[in-house]
Amino acid sequence: MTLIAERPGPGAARPYRFPQVVRRAVAGGQVVAAHLPGQNLAVALLLLDAGAGREPVGKEGLGGVLAKALEEGTSQRDATAYALAIEALGTELVTGLDWDTFQASVQVPVERLGAAVELLAEAVRTPKLDPDDVRRVRDDEATALRMDWANPGPRADAVLRADLFGVDNRWGRPLYGDPDSVAALDAEDVTVFHSEWFIRPGTLVVAGDLERIDLDALAATAFAGTGGGPVDRGGPIDVPLRTGRRVILVDRPGSVQSTLRLGHIAPHRAHPDHVPLALAGTVLGGAFTSRLNHLIREVRGYTYGIRGDFASSRRFGRFAVSSGVQTAVTAPALVESVGEIARTQAGGVTEDELAVARSWRAGQLSVELQSPRAIAAALTTLVVHDLPDDYHAQLREALLAADVAQVSAAAATHLHPDSLTLVVEGDAALIRDELVAAGLGEVIDHVPADPV
Amino acid sequence: MPDSGYPWPISTTRLDNGLRVVVSEDRTAPAVAVNLWYDVGSRHEPAGQTGFAHLFEHLMFEGSVNVAKTEHMKLVQGAGGSLNATTNPDRTNYFETVPAEHLELALWLEADRMGGLVPALTQETLDNQRDVVKNERRQRYENVPYGDAWLRLLPLLYPPGHPYHHATIGSMADLNAADLATFQAFHQTYYAPNNAVLTVVGDTTVDEVVTLAEKYFGGIEPRAEIPSAPDGRTVPATGVPAVETVVTDVPAPRVYVAHRTYPFGTPGYDVVTVLATVLGSGRGSRLYQRLADGERIAQPDLVGAYGVDLAHAPAPLIATATARPGVSGERLAEGLSEVVDELATVPVTPSELDRAKALLTTAWWRQMSTVDGRADVLGRYATQFGDPATVAERLPAWQAVTAEQIAEVAAEVLGADDRVTLTYRPEEKP
Repeated sequence: MTLIAERPGPGAARPYRFPQVVRRAVAGGQVVAAHLPGQNLAVALLLLDAGAGREPVGKEGLGGVLAKALEEGTSQRDATAYALAIEALGTELVTGLDWDTFQASVQVPVERLGAAVELLAEAVRTPKLDPDDVRRVRDDEATALRMDWANPGPRADAVLRADLFGVDNRWGRPLYGDPDSVAALDAEDVTVFHSEWFIRPGTLVVAGDLERIDLDALAATAFAGTGGGPVDRGGPIDVPLRTGRRVILVDRPGSVQSTLRLGHIAPHRAHPDHVPLALAGTVLGGAFTSRLNHLIREVRGYTYGIRGDFASSRRFGRFAVSSGVQTAVTAPALVESVGEIARTQAGGVTEDELAVARSWRAGQLSVELQSPRAIAAALTTLVVHDLPDDYHAQLREALLAADVAQVSAAAATHLHPDSLTLVVEGDAALIRDELVAAGLGEVIDHVPADPV
Repeated sequence: MPDSGYPWPISTTRLDNGLRVVVSEDRTAPAVAVNLWYDVGSRHEPAGQTGFAHLFEHLMFEGSVNVAKTEHMKLVQGAGGSLNATTNPDRTNYFETVPAEHLELALWLEADRMGGLVPALTQETLDNQRDVVKNERRQRYENVPYGDAWLRLLPLLYPPGHPYHHATIGSMADLNAADLATFQAFHQTYYAPNNAVLTVVGDTTVDEVVTLAEKYFGGIEPRAEIPSAPDGRTVPATGVPAVETVVTDVPAPRVYVAHRTYPFGTPGYDVVTVLATVLGSGRGSRLYQRLADGERIAQPDLVGAYGVDLAHAPAPLIATATARPGVSGERLAEGLSEVVDELATVPVTPSELDRAKALLTTAWWRQMSTVDGRADVLGRYATQFGDPATVAERLPAWQAVTAEQIAEVAAEVLGADDRVTLTYRPEEKP
């Protein structure tokens, strides 16, 4: 056996390229497109200022129900005819929802993009929204959420969110609502939400071979019949940090793992510390090689995986760690996770760790931005956060330039191990005593609300 | 749209030690995908050693003679790359996509663990990764409703002794019994250059890749005899439906109907691929139209059908539906079986066929839209069919499938007397 012992160094670096970005104002709306020469597949995505943040408190899940209701027939055809028409082009109507936006998209061979955008616009702009259909979709959505909530995770996520942001605020409740909030929606809530937020033009994002795509024609289709200007999107929300660490126990009898969700509030997306924070999060929990995964998975064998990161939307952010650990090691896994967070806050990061984190995050901007779908998602970031065409190149530079002092300072400022909320979803009878004995903070049993 | 499913160049070279090197140059993005297919999967595992191929995959990330423990991940991520590996019944694949200037690093790492894993393998590493895999089993199969469906379907579809009888994740008892010597032998037996295909796609050239492959892999000795897995290509029909009902903590009744069809890569399986799309992909599919929309007995988000692309024995076709509130598992099973039965009796219409082919065409180009997606299919076709260029034939083969063929295949392999039905029923709450 002859192996080469010496590790090779890198070859000549290729210049970083993000596809050429084209922006246009057409027919009352905005078009943002990326040119992917030679690409057979194209994506068109309609981006509306209709994220979950626009839902009134008590109406959580409106966006999710409306998304499904869009396909229950349009002004021009019934649900079955619509499904057959759009799928005959090779795509489904893909919808997405986050705190800032509602997205509807199609992905097709490039020569079918025009026809696909016509059907996209037909569903988004002119859905039938028959009240009987909407009520049925609502009931199906409530059932789907009940199914989802039977898995470990959604309940723990909801409990953490409520504890961080306050259940009286929309952003303190689950992004897609919960089974009860969805079940309580009226058909009229859905039609009102549509008329208020889905008729404004929004932005059409396109990723594909622009030599073979007529952007003006797509835009004319996407923005036809729309009206109403942009609405103020509101500034960052000031959420107070919790004082004192607490453990909230969500009972899941018979669970063979404990689902962990640890977190506290963190800066919103436009905060000047965004890049150093992302890097601090990467060193602590964002990559396979991060501190948390190394200790909890690779050294201790407590879990299949543990991740932690800072996530942010336009108006708020949070730091969170998530994992599933074997029931018997719940308490030590929590103690050691909190220990790593505290160590990172107090001692910062090392140059060795930061070197991996910054090249990984920078390299991902080449490696992960290949498909039309991925490029379209990158363009939505530009639109939602008002960023320039060369943002990804700038981001790459900023990542590569961040030094240990900056990243350690961001960790010191924005990690709060003593203010963490530790949500544990598991077999309470088996783990409660150990959690109390671990002394991580007061242990509170989560009391579920009565089902509606 | 091109007539071929693979309009990029493909070059294949065989090194003296038997390693096949497949290169497909594409300068569009400054990235390269490196992918290794080893022709070993859970189908090679003897009784008592289930889960070993997959546990072994974990060990491949834990260091080799020139790569310290934990260094593999760190070096790839430190180069800006993405990496992973998967094991299935057929094979094990390892892959990373890196900025193009780090190609040589990726090849060095792969060569080191192909040729130099055993000396670095320790009991401590094995014990740790055994715990990780047991946690993976808990997380993915045991702690989620319906999570063990695949584990239950396989033994219903394939008889004891068949290479697909047991699931890749293995049993807890076998994992607990795993000893170091077995894994050392496993590597020596199967991780040989003449049992692997190295594929590189992206911003590089054939010359560069072949030169580097020769440099890093060329010194690794081939293995004279690599034992093959038991032959599973013929599975006698039992003529008796297999029915299993599980009463457990699930939120609603769910039914799986499964059949053995044909091996992936055969003309019969091409028909099954189109048939599965007609049956269960999208809102226009028969299952959605009949069960979710028409009779409204199934939850719309949880109805579907798919083939599992396995190449070494008749591959499974699985159709599934989950009951709407108030609908029993029996009623749902009847409905699901009825729609499957009708594939043989109610001809597929031209618009159903066009819809299925359009969806498959988009799915194909989505797989081809990244260098890593392309590298994996080239590795598959080189490993399973001996020639990566045959990848270009799959999309045209789907396009050529006719309604008559679908009816014939349905009559041949989807008969009710050779059907597996697995039903989950919620426990009665006190």
